[in-house]
Amino acid sequence: MHHAHIDKFSFGDSPIHRFDSRVKVLVTVVFTVLVISLARTSPAIVACYAVGPFTILVLARIPLRFVFKHILLVSPFVLVLALTCPLYDKTPVAVAFGPFSTEMSLGWLRCFTILAKFVVTMAALIALVSTTKFADLLAGLQKMHVPRLLIIQLGFLYRYIFILIDRIHRILRARAGRKLRNLGFKAELAVASAMVGSLLSRSIDNACNVNIAMQARGFDGKWRTISRLKMRRRDLFFAAASACFLAVMQFIALRLR
Amino acid sequence: MTKAIEIRNFSYHYPDGTTALSDITLSIEAGERVALIGPNGAGKSTVLLAMAGFIKGTGKISIEGLETSNRNLRKIRALIGSCLENPEDQLFMPTLFDDVAFGPLNMGLGSEQVKARVTEVLRTVGLERLADKAPHHLSAGQKRAAAIATVLSMSPRIITLDEPDGSLDPGNRNNLIKLLNSLTQTLIIATCNMNLAAALANRVILLDKGTVIADGDSSTIMGDRTLMADHGLESPTILYMKKQQ
Repeated sequence: MHHAHIDKFSFGDSPIHRFDSRVKVLVTVVFTVLVISLARTSPAIVACYAVGPFTILVLARIPLRFVFKHILLVSPFVLVLALTCPLYDKTPVAVAFGPFSTEMSLGWLRCFTILAKFVVTMAALIALVSTTKFADLLAGLQKMHVPRLLIIQLGFLYRYIFILIDRIHRILRARAGRKLRNLGFKAELAVASAMVGSLLSRSIDNACNVNIAMQARGFDGKWRTISRLKMRRRDLFFAAASACFLAVMQFIALRLR
Repeated sequence: MTKAIEIRNFSYHYPDGTTALSDITLSIEAGERVALIGPNGAGKSTVLLAMAGFIKGTGKISIEGLETSNRNLRKIRALIGSCLENPEDQLFMPTLFDDVAFGPLNMGLGSEQVKARVTEVLRTVGLERLADKAPHHLSAGQKRAAAIATVLSMSPRIITLDEPDGSLDPGNRNNLIKLLNSLTQTLIIATCNMNLAAALANRVILLDKGTVIADGDSSTIMGDRTLMADHGLESPTILYMKKQQ
């Protein structure tokens, strides 16, 4: 098994872990929308917003190294987008942050803002998935009336992505064990496509067997589950505290505009 | 008296024309423990699939008197619990609790009844502390026990198990044998492991190339070394194990 690290923190125990998943989802969505809608030239206020998710991460005892590693993993797409900004907007602007002030092009300012928004929203998302068991997340989404088909697909994705990852590892190991020389680009491509084909056909087999297992247990197309979520006073307190934090941040953002 | 399972002249061909089962006839009484043994490709898994109505062939199959036609499928699947070869296929929900609750919820039981049944079944298979675990966090032995729990929670009268000891170490295999021996349902176990068959079944049906070669007392059939060798099998080394338990 090579995948245990992906969701290991969601099984932890901290006050943050114990909050109801619906409240955490709602707070994360509102937080993300507010950060995304900030002006494209305000990295300082985005940095203030960072206090929220990083406080949650620290309270939930999620190692920041883990957080930054995962942010880095998905950063290339945003990096490309952000780094194009300085190329087409070179208007000089004065930038001040507390006692510090400097001058830079508007393109660079936008680049930093995009990167800051990315890091902060990703940190919020990682805080959500690292402090909430996936099953609770799905149960929360179901209670929030997210389309059932989407929830079923997410459930299957979570269940079988780990098996697929294990299978990929095994195939790669088998290939490495027999690959004694460089085969050249064309031959490597042929091997890779055969491997993908094998993965696909085995996945189809798996899907057929899962279908049999579901039908054997009376599945008739309706997805029935028991929700074990309960809204408690502490959840309302967390929602209220988050609302206060977001209101203060919005107030600061409006003052600085 | 109605038989638990009755198969008459059943044949099945794969879509490419290969014969999987040819003119199978057998019957199993309620409460019997039967091992379907045979080499790879003998048709053991196909017989189990046919019993639960997952494949349609020619001939007749009835479960407790109900023919495996489309209109009876729901009733038949409430009677017969199918445990697939690979537990990964059997465990498809995000948590063990949800997986074990899946069948009872589909049977129309209420939430409290389902919770009680899940708790009881998880205790029976020794996984009560792992109810909130995701299936990918379970060990091979735990996954196998969990797969059996998903079937037990539906209180079926017949349980079919396909290669139930696949990839289990001896310790987990012994736990599985203890668990299966504690069940009172009619058990049909498809296996290539003769020791497992000897430990669990009173009766053995030997299949090869889609036909029934021998059907009878487990120690008589599995003790016939020539018969076993002719069909790519070997006699069990622990024929005495069941007696000891």
